[in-house]
Amino acid sequence: MNRQVYLDHNASTPVHPEVVEAMLPYFGERFGNPSSVHGFGRAAREGLETAREQVAHFLRVGKEEIVFTSGGTESDNMAVKGVAMARRSGHVITTKIEHHAVLRAVQNLETMGFGATYLDVDSFGMVDPDALRRAIRPDTILISVMHANSEIGTIQPARELGAIAREHGIPFHMDAVQTFGKVPIDLDAFNIDMLSFSGHKIYGPKGVAGLYIRKGTKMVSVQHGGEHERRRRAGTENVTGIVGLGKAVEIRGRDMAEEGRRLTGLRERLWEGLQRRVPEVRLNGHPTQRVPGTCNVSFRHVESESIVLGLDLKGIGVSAGSACTSGNVEPSYVLVAMGVPLDWAMGAVRHSLGRSTTAEDIDYVIDATEPLVAKLRSAMPARA
Amino acid sequence: MMRNPDGVGEGEYKECMDLVRFHLRVRAGRVVEARFQAYGCGPTIAAASAATEIVAGASLVDLLDLPAAKVEAAVGGLPEARRHAAEVAMMGLQAAARDALSRVNTRSDGHA
Repeated sequence: MNRQVYLDHNASTPVHPEVVEAMLPYFGERFGNPSSVHGFGRAAREGLETAREQVAHFLRVGKEEIVFTSGGTESDNMAVKGVAMARRSGHVITTKIEHHAVLRAVQNLETMGFGATYLDVDSFGMVDPDALRRAIRPDTILISVMHANSEIGTIQPARELGAIAREHGIPFHMDAVQTFGKVPIDLDAFNIDMLSFSGHKIYGPKGVAGLYIRKGTKMVSVQHGGEHERRRRAGTENVTGIVGLGKAVEIRGRDMAEEGRRLTGLRERLWEGLQRRVPEVRLNGHPTQRVPGTCNVSFRHVESESIVLGLDLKGIGVSAGSACTSGNVEPSYVLVAMGVPLDWAMGAVRHSLGRSTTAEDIDYVIDATEPLVAKLRSAMPARA
Repeated sequence: MMRNPDGVGEGEYKECMDLVRFHLRVRAGRVVEARFQAYGCGPTIAAASAATEIVAGASLVDLLDLPAAKVEAAVGGLPEARRHAAEVAMMGLQAAARDALSRVNTRSDGHA
């Protein structure tokens, strides 16, 4: 039986045992609908509002500025479409490396007559604040830049970008799904008006997330129905999920700094080991301005899916930077935007470390990767 | 890979950058050994590997018409999106068979 090593924490995380414990009563005795007037409903409402307080406390904002959603994707859609629909027309600035939830929401706005600019990134995946400044038009109504990209982990210069947005009076949305609870986020210092965050990336349950909306931000609801979430997002709340999210956030407040240091050390161990033992590798992303647990490595001239499958046979879970889903090669659009050459981009493997990762796990992965890549390379026909 | 192969052929699927190369050892018009090299996604490598197994004992002439379906059956089936893996292997084998046959036909000792 293989050792099991999960290095795909950017995709999802196991729920923390304390979170599960916090959620359980809300499946049972506290099952009521929080909108119900009676005691059964009030018991559920209490859990809901406690979670809201936990999140608000963590972000140092007011409770009423936190809206719960069904996922990071919904939060992103809500931010982008909510602001856009309030204005009915205008220009949106985002980046080429956003999550599809933002990219496709913006593309959708374009089909409805909105203008859009997708900012380039440099070879580290970093946005240039001057490029943002140059892209602003008189009719720009929203700027949406993710705090860090899930594939490479490069952290954007949020402070500078937010300052530019504030200078021009333009709402600034930041998709922080990959950084919330992992690196410090100062909403005021970064001039952030809306922040997306998600439960299942921080050892909370799937299917629950949130959007911070700064008081005074003009936006309309994109999901209509009841009066929930102060009429910003209709639908009976996912109480168990939200309670879990609140608890997960509270735990992050406790563990974030120490975990960050620990994971940074482990990811350096991984990168250092791979560099030493495997020829022709390169790191994708910024060497230091990066989410602690993310280590995206390209293995030249090897197809990443083969590595993912080979490591899977050894009980190791990582993710590939390229997809061959319909018989067409598709290197990751993020790596393409960074200008990574194709023979490197095709071999990109993302390792994302987490709570459970140990130094022994890292060594096991390096030990498995070296012969695997050597074997795949030896079976290759020589390429010009 | 193989010393003095009797036939070498490549199959390529440009859209996916998949490449498979076969080396054949041939005796009396039949394949006695086949080796492969592959660059590409997992299914392509698997299809190439499976292909080397099914061609043992096959006549070169039969290989010219080898259907992709046979390669796919050898690898146990492929999802719709990965069918090209069997095609790449098939093309490679056909090319190797053509190459082996052409060498026979041009041998200076006159044997057909």
